[in-house]
Amino acid sequence: MIKEFIRKRSIHVCLVCTGGCNGCDIEVAALLSQRYDLEQYGIYYHNNPRESDALLVTGTVAKQWQEKLVEFYNKVPEPKAVVAIGACALSGGIFQQESDKVGAPVSDVIPVDAEVPGCPPRPAEIAIAVLKYVPPTLASYRRKI
Amino acid sequence: MSYVPIGPIHPGLKEPLRIKLKTEGERVVDAEVDLGYFYRGAEQLARGKPWQKVAYLAERVCGICSDAHPHTLIEGLERIVDCEPPLRAQFSRVIMGELNRIHSHLIANAIWFLAVEHETLGIYNLNTREKVMDLLEMISGNRVLYSWNIVGGVRMDFKESHLKKILDNLAEVESEVYRYRKMFKTGALLGLRSKDIGKMTKEEAIEVRAVGPTARGSGIKFDWRTKHPTYVDHFDFKPIWRDECDNYARVMMRFDEILESIKIVKKAVDELPDGPIRKECEIPRGSVDYRYEAPRGELAYIFETAKHGIIKEITIRTPTIMNLEACVRYMFKDSPTIADAIAIYQTIDPCIACTERVVIVDENGNRQDFRGVHTVLRNLKPFKSKKKDR
Ligand code: SF4
Repeated sequence: MIKEFIRKRSIHVCLVCTGGCNGCDIEVAALLSQRYDLEQYGIYYHNNPRESDALLVTGTVAKQWQEKLVEFYNKVPEPKAVVAIGACALSGGIFQQESDKVGAPVSDVIPVDAEVPGCPPRPAEIAIAVLKYVPPTLASYRRKI
Repeated sequence: MSYVPIGPIHPGLKEPLRIKLKTEGERVVDAEVDLGYFYRGAEQLARGKPWQKVAYLAERVCGICSDAHPHTLIEGLERIVDCEPPLRAQFSRVIMGELNRIHSHLIANAIWFLAVEHETLGIYNLNTREKVMDLLEMISGNRVLYSWNIVGGVRMDFKESHLKKILDNLAEVESEVYRYRKMFKTGALLGLRSKDIGKMTKEEAIEVRAVGPTARGSGIKFDWRTKHPTYVDHFDFKPIWRDECDNYARVMMRFDEILESIKIVKKAVDELPDGPIRKECEIPRGSVDYRYEAPRGELAYIFETAKHGIIKEITIRTPTIMNLEACVRYMFKDSPTIADAIAIYQTIDPCIACTERVVIVDENGNRQDFRGVHTVLRNLKPFKSKKKDR
């Protein structure tokens, strides 16, 4: 019970870029600045899958990532949540025109809990999505088993 | 002798790529990079599309220098018809390009400071960058992708209030950058992590064809802006360079370039001429090789158009291709620790999204000819300009 309560208030996120244009990645990096200050909401940003609670996935799933992303997902300890960010991750965006290069959407490869549309979405929208959808997903884990 | 693999996802890296370091104890003796986590085939997508579509695609080659890519493509297209945009449009392009450079250099330095674990300066830099992002959003309507340039001019015009806000915000950014520059210059621990680390001499930089701030940090006095017609005619631009050849020089270079860019923007805003912002141009058949100084260095667009501006062949040569080579070949050589190797990698300001390419190899190991550049260069006619020759 306590564990669930605490877990909702300290979310470690890991950013995985799977081949977009970097636009979404720098918007996630912008969240670190004092103006948005992710850490005051209890979100800690680092790129280590084995310690994280939530994966932020950006980009069209490029060829190299199509198997690796699943491996990656499996490395994240349960309970976990996945947030897909940007048009690329949701549909392939502008790169979907000749579809042999990209494996988007991300939801075809791994289960996705929240989607943030936009090319790129604003940093505040990303923060809202993480705050609103990740804690319930983490909390619902015990109820599942 | 042991190998340390770093990546593709690693706390020290912001973009997926794999670096394999060969180490003796903590000392790095050799390195190898493994790319391919970002490949989307942008050049292939561009073939056979009208330039209006390719401009959007070019913007999405890299989200950080998202003004430099369409800027180069569009000025290249204008070069085919010899169509010179109105003066106000040229000045608007300069303002947008320099604001883009300021935000790119600020995030590059921020990431370097985070890589050496100096979080104070890293977060300060990110915060200052938000002021520039506000300007970009106010002017173009989007924080990252601006869609600012179009053949014959620019899409939108500045309002009086925009110009005032630009000057106000840049004055704040300038004083803050001076402060960070001083903190970096006098910080003893930062000096230990940056001076004499990641050395690349001038000869080595020439040999691997390093470009941009990476090359200018090693004493190469070259910048494509010195050959850009608008900069030549209206701004007496001098390239900045340093001769320390190490991490310190490259980080300092970026701070100095930010200050120089601020000067250029201020001058452009003060002298912004009145008049139209766009004129009509029809793109005929032709081919061109156009280069522009992106925040990371020389950016080349080599392409061929068919009738009505359909792109037939296109090759994009981005700066990180050469800089990454320089980093792996020379800078990693005498890196004292593995932590420094990551810091060195961040000083070249890598942009992996630009860099991804493929080579097609058949089952016998024969490489298929890389078709873009060769066909275009064969057909390239020498370009005659009224302006100073490039
Ligand atoms: S959604 Fe847009 S900004 Fe984000 S990675 Fe894709 S192209 Fe870039």
